[in-house]
Amino acid sequence: MNDYARLLPPDARQRLETRLAEREQASGAQMVIAIFPSLEGESLEDFGIRLAERWRVGDRKLDNGVILLVFVEERRLRMEVGYGLESVLPDAAAAGIIREAVTPRFREQRYAAGLEAAVDAVYARVETRSAPATPGPARGVSPWVLGLLVLFGVVALLLAREAMSTSGRARRSAYTAGGRRGWGSPAVVVPPWWGGGGRRGGGGGIDFRPGGGSFGGGGASGQW
Amino acid sequence: MRGLVIALAVIALVLVGIVAWAVGVNNRLVRLEQDVNEKWAQVENVYQRRADLIPNLVETVKGFAAQERNVLTEVTEARARATGVTLTPEALNDPRAMERFQAAQGQLTGALSRLLVVVERYPELKSHQGFLTLQAQLEGTENRIAVERRRFNEAVRDYNTRVALFPGSVAARFAGFQPKAFFEAAPDAATPPKVKF
Repeated sequence: MNDYARLLPPDARQRLETRLAEREQASGAQMVIAIFPSLEGESLEDFGIRLAERWRVGDRKLDNGVILLVFVEERRLRMEVGYGLESVLPDAAAAGIIREAVTPRFREQRYAAGLEAAVDAVYARVETRSAPATPGPARGVSPWVLGLLVLFGVVALLLAREAMSTSGRARRSAYTAGGRRGWGSPAVVVPPWWGGGGRRGGGGGIDFRPGGGSFGGGGASGQW
Repeated sequence: MRGLVIALAVIALVLVGIVAWAVGVNNRLVRLEQDVNEKWAQVENVYQRRADLIPNLVETVKGFAAQERNVLTEVTEARARATGVTLTPEALNDPRAMERFQAAQGQLTGALSRLLVVVERYPELKSHQGFLTLQAQLEGTENRIAVERRRFNEAVRDYNTRVALFPGSVAARFAGFQPKAFFEAAPDAATPPKVKF
């Protein structure tokens, strides 16, 4: 949930974030919402795919990311669907969700409701149509490996915090200051507060953990 | 005598160095060329996807506007021509082959946009659920085509640059690597007009 345009009140934003996190946890597919004040003259589809390539939403191997982009000034929106979800959420379905769940509510200025409806609709398709994913941690991991991972994680964390305090990149305000934040390799055990801590003083961070997923330009656009 | 041995050893080392470097250049080019071929396969993929949508589209439109025979035939024929032109990886070196491919696809794009303009005159067709689905799929596919074309061009650019850079270009030419053709945007290759309802 990245509301760069401050379209939603904080409690609505929080509700959406929670909903997104829960659904991601439950299904594995990662959905990100980004609200921008303006397209600034760019092409909607162009912006969408470049953002998708920068942010790498969704799992690296499964490519199961969805990005919902809203541009307030132009009253346009676009949903980008990752390669892995194209069978579950084809273009026509994405267009349908935008047309039926989002734009009617947006026209009534019920933005939060529209976004919530979109999240529900997307995940309804994801959950009913994808094969049940094998939950990662349930595989039998030997206690030795686990212990080593934890140790490694703690050490890496301490090192990373050292590095972060000296890096000056925290204040970058470009929208696409995305995946490369110097947090180290994905193997590092990520602290639970990362997910909500992307915003540095209300500026330009991203508010999710990029998984490395790829996008092919599928999805749909709409306007209200 | 010793001087001669040393000189020969140096020459041998230099030769080994050159061969190693040439092999490095060759392997890099092989990898870049592989990338170009993969991206091309993706381009053909998405064009095929578009071609696959068309029979359904033609049938749906016929259901409401059978009298628009000209446009429907044009689309069907353009599709047949477009699916008939494919490029093997070797042909990627040939700009004329690339032009032919693009021209065939461009004709289909043109025929499709004319079809969509015609559809504008039939409000029942425009709001028909089946048509809306196809319309969304078509737009999505056109977007995918644009994306894969861009990625292909980027791969070609990387490859061409590496082929042309000196001194690697010497080794490249020796091994038979040639620059590849880009996907140019033809002057009137418009994407089908986005029909706003």
